[in-house]
Amino acid sequence: MLNIKVAGLELSNPTMLASGIMGVSGSGLKAVAVKGGAGAIVTQSISIAPREGHKNPTIYTMDDSLISAFGLPNQGYLNYREEIEQLKDTNVPVVASVYGYGIEEYVEVAKAMEEFGASAIELNLAYPNAGKTGSFYGQSEHLTYEVVRAVKSKVKIPVFAKLTANVTDIVSIAKACEEAKADAIVAIGPVGAMKIDIYAKKPVLANKTGGLSGKCLKPIAVRCVYEIAKEVDIDIIGCGGVFTGEDAVEYFLAGAKAVQIGTAVLYRGIRVFKKVCREIESYLKSQGYSSLDEIIGLAL
Amino acid sequence: MIAKLHVTKIREIIKETRRIKTFILDMKIKAQPGQFAMVWLPDVDEKPMALSYIDGYAGITVLKLGDFTKKLHEAKVGDIVGIRAPLGRGFKLRDEDKKILIVGGGIGVAPLAPLAEKAVEEGKEVTAIIGAVTKSELLFVNRFEKVGAKVYITTDDGTAGIKGFTTDAMRMLLEKETFDACYICGPEIMMVKALELARAKKIPSQVSLHRYFKCGIGICGACVLDGCGYRVCKEGPTFWDFEIEKCSEFGSYWRNAAGVKVYFKKK
Ligand SMILES: Cc1cc2nc3c(=O)[nH]c(=O)nc-3n(C[C@H](O)[C@H](O)[C@H](O)COP(=O)(O)O)c2cc1C
Ligand code: FES
Repeated sequence: MLNIKVAGLELSNPTMLASGIMGVSGSGLKAVAVKGGAGAIVTQSISIAPREGHKNPTIYTMDDSLISAFGLPNQGYLNYREEIEQLKDTNVPVVASVYGYGIEEYVEVAKAMEEFGASAIELNLAYPNAGKTGSFYGQSEHLTYEVVRAVKSKVKIPVFAKLTANVTDIVSIAKACEEAKADAIVAIGPVGAMKIDIYAKKPVLANKTGGLSGKCLKPIAVRCVYEIAKEVDIDIIGCGGVFTGEDAVEYFLAGAKAVQIGTAVLYRGIRVFKKVCREIESYLKSQGYSSLDEIIGLAL
Repeated sequence: MIAKLHVTKIREIIKETRRIKTFILDMKIKAQPGQFAMVWLPDVDEKPMALSYIDGYAGITVLKLGDFTKKLHEAKVGDIVGIRAPLGRGFKLRDEDKKILIVGGGIGVAPLAPLAEKAVEEGKEVTAIIGAVTKSELLFVNRFEKVGAKVYITTDDGTAGIKGFTTDAMRMLLEKETFDACYICGPEIMMVKALELARAKKIPSQVSLHRYFKCGIGICGACVLDGCGYRVCKEGPTFWDFEIEKCSEFGSYWRNAAGVKVYFKKK
């Protein structure tokens, strides 16, 4: 009932682990894939060389949302090879999130990830807290087009473009992705945010500003998916504040074919993927549907 | 519920040894022994610290080692710190265990003192082996003695107690006595050896691990152990012998801020 084809990938269910959650090593991703029941997993964003990311504090927790700035730490793609290879026996598709400081870096990492066995590439054009990468590209139609086109011309596996809502018009960025032949759009990454502690009288995060994720993000992200779905024909994957099956259904009705889940891993545990799937199923049954396909885009 | 950031003040500072200080915080807590706090020093960093006082005003006990702990040692009563606590899974005292052994090396004794206090409160007979490099660096011996634990001391240089490591004392002790459970915290290589000794005598044991933490609450993946997939900050930092057996990286390596493996030096 929940299986779905997204950007050419056959998923057993429409829940994917979002990038940067539990993704430092293959062991963490494996726990999500096997115990958690995710339909696909996205690695943390990988760069050319190892990067330590920002100092702590990297996270500020609220009731159902987070502000975080990890700064895309990772081992560099050469070290990450063995992490990805550990996941082969899980049979869960692995999407490699990649980023670079320069288009040629995106291309180099993406090519390596394809070689290491990734099922798809997710271009991080969304992340706001790591200098001239991520949203630095995703905030320009031109750069978005160039990155997507360059990577598409060098890899055979599907390429997703993960976009940021920190733009004037996300639809024009989405159109640039479509023109550059991206296979899917992931909407959205964290929205720029910050927390100041009034007693310390200082920003809490070491990076001062961070990205908002979790429930607070959902209404913004659903709006983005809806606007993009109205104008663009490639597949959309919703991301932001999916905690329950009901949250996921909102995204499906807005036109997304799958959802990514990040912050909810904290609030509902690693098994959140299984829980969300059960809740989607019970929604579909109660509404008289027999497959997920039937509700995609119904609210458009 | 996930512990939120609580910005508070340092209430009291106790100099324990030349390199170790305890900071009592102006924040009441009820935690399990072995649980930890993420401690934020504004403008410096945020790091995990075992809670050394767990009932009433929270306390942490800090060895001066790197940048962060050096800055913390410079802090004064009234200075502001941010605390997220209690986090992680503490030690488990089981009802059926009457006689327990506690083995602590260096700063690893910090979470074990409240464990000893709680165990005695629950009517258990506590024996402790406390080790340090030298006499003046021994931590919390008085806290163990005060609750009536039987204490064995080891120092690397022989300035107090038995000359040698905690595991030397443990080997001797286990030749003549047995225990229902064993709790171990200290340098990882020491914990590997202590676990082996306990296992040889079929004594169920718990260890408390140290890894590089970022989030401290189980979302970022920085502290996930290879082999078992446990998060040290969430499923840990304490693990039973049968759990740690599945963690292939135990005693071998840890991961730095970038996630790159760093191998332990074998003694
Ligand atoms: C701890 C943490 C780390 C993240 N790291 C990345 C990352 O490396 N790359 C990326 O594209 N997004 C990263 N994100 C953003 C998430 O992938 C996701 O877009 C965002 O959290 C919104 O989804 P959520 O509300 O389900 O968490 C991170 C988010 C969090 C909370
Ligand atoms: S420190 Fe982030 S998962 Fe443990």
